[in-house]
Amino acid sequence: MEKRRAAVTGIGVVSPLGNSASELYRALVENRSGIRAMTEWHDEFGRDIAGAPVKLDPAVVKQISRKVRRTMGNTALFAGLAAQEAVAQSGLDPAVFTSGRVGCIIGSTVGSPSSMTEACVAEYEGRRNDLSACHFFRIMSHSASFNVADMFGINGPQLSTNSACASGLQALGAALELIQLGKVDAVLAGGADESTPLVSSSFQLLYALAEEESPEPERLSRPFDAARTGLVCGEGAGILVVEEMEHARKRGARILFEIAGYATNCSGWHVSHSDELQIANCMRNALADAGVTPGEVDYVSAHATGTKVGDAAEAAACRAVFGSEVPVSSLKGHLGHTLGASGSLELAAVYGMMRDGIVLPTRNLEQVEDCAGILLPREIREQKVRICVKNSIAFGGVNASLVCRSAD
Amino acid sequence: MDHDTIVKTVNSIFVERFELDESELTPDKRIIEDLQLDSLDLVDMIVGLQQKFGIMLRDNPEVRAVRTLGDVYTLFEKLAKEHPEIEEKFR
Repeated sequence: MEKRRAAVTGIGVVSPLGNSASELYRALVENRSGIRAMTEWHDEFGRDIAGAPVKLDPAVVKQISRKVRRTMGNTALFAGLAAQEAVAQSGLDPAVFTSGRVGCIIGSTVGSPSSMTEACVAEYEGRRNDLSACHFFRIMSHSASFNVADMFGINGPQLSTNSACASGLQALGAALELIQLGKVDAVLAGGADESTPLVSSSFQLLYALAEEESPEPERLSRPFDAARTGLVCGEGAGILVVEEMEHARKRGARILFEIAGYATNCSGWHVSHSDELQIANCMRNALADAGVTPGEVDYVSAHATGTKVGDAAEAAACRAVFGSEVPVSSLKGHLGHTLGASGSLELAAVYGMMRDGIVLPTRNLEQVEDCAGILLPREIREQKVRICVKNSIAFGGVNASLVCRSAD
Repeated sequence: MDHDTIVKTVNSIFVERFELDESELTPDKRIIEDLQLDSLDLVDMIVGLQQKFGIMLRDNPEVRAVRTLGDVYTLFEKLAKEHPEIEEKFR
């Protein structure tokens, strides 16, 4: 039996480079950076480390009803705002959401680290009774997913793919599979995460953070570069409307691109060390799922965060699967690492590349040493992007790869 | 503790936590039916009252029995007489 196909009909973004998919893409094309010195974290770190924060307009936030907003930490809030944009673009009839045939799958590393910290401080200070009845709902691992489902009245499957930095891509993969299985007609899917001192310090502890104070913080996130020293934490959300292809066509929806294949796996041996063999296997499995050969791939949107070990492993995996002819780039030089949001958020930019026939380069990539042997563009490259692979790699040894096909 | 201070203090919870307009907050308003608070909000109302008045209310059956905003004002007129720490907090 032929597999049901999944189309993307809406994309929404909250990011360090703007709170819409178009703002993000424009900023990336202009080679702007969302990274700055986090002066507001100076007391926690004893210096101004780099970060890539989101800036929200309180008036826009307040447009979400209080009864939904009260259980939202920033992670869920980012997801909710991104979902609004995606749904608006899709043109889906609101009545569809309550049909039981629409799902909501949103993942994050933690429900809301800022809310978790607030609860811990209240506990430590003996103020447990001061916590709101809504507080735990902000911390719960599936907070973004159920809050977004409530925003739209979605009453189909609600799942949360909490696999740290692979959360967003796993959510899209799960959406594809639910559609293929015929269990839903559409899914709001993606990832979201917020950055706090607790999150950045978790990477700092592992020597995985670009933690030096720099007069040029926007140059600290350097995926694939010889001088990379670690990642810069970002935050945001990328939410997509993933819709069964015929369902989308019948209602005359604009198909932005197709999610054609997906795979996820894990290394099974180390929680933080990237495994190039399993990353390569994951990409190969996703290609097989899509019925695509490595030679047909036009672009790989890498996970590459700027860590020494992680980037080298992913570069080696890309070299093993694609050789040296397929362009590979990471958007984390511009955006920092938006964690569980990164996979789905960066796909918003990948869509722009497919539409405009360009490949965006990796910002701050100047000198390649240990990541050599793959094609790493240093400037915007004009070329057709019909088929692309998007990778996410996460703590826990988790890998996820999505194969996307342009709508042309 | 005078009536106006109690009203002002109770109302501030409804404005700050539940984003209601001050003009809506009259003693006859039913908390659930008219002001649209639900079960989570009722817990947060108690949390807010505890913080503002400085006494524990969680296990007080009277606070769980209030139906209107006027009931809350009346309850705190009574509690202010029974709990000198409330007067102390507002002094």
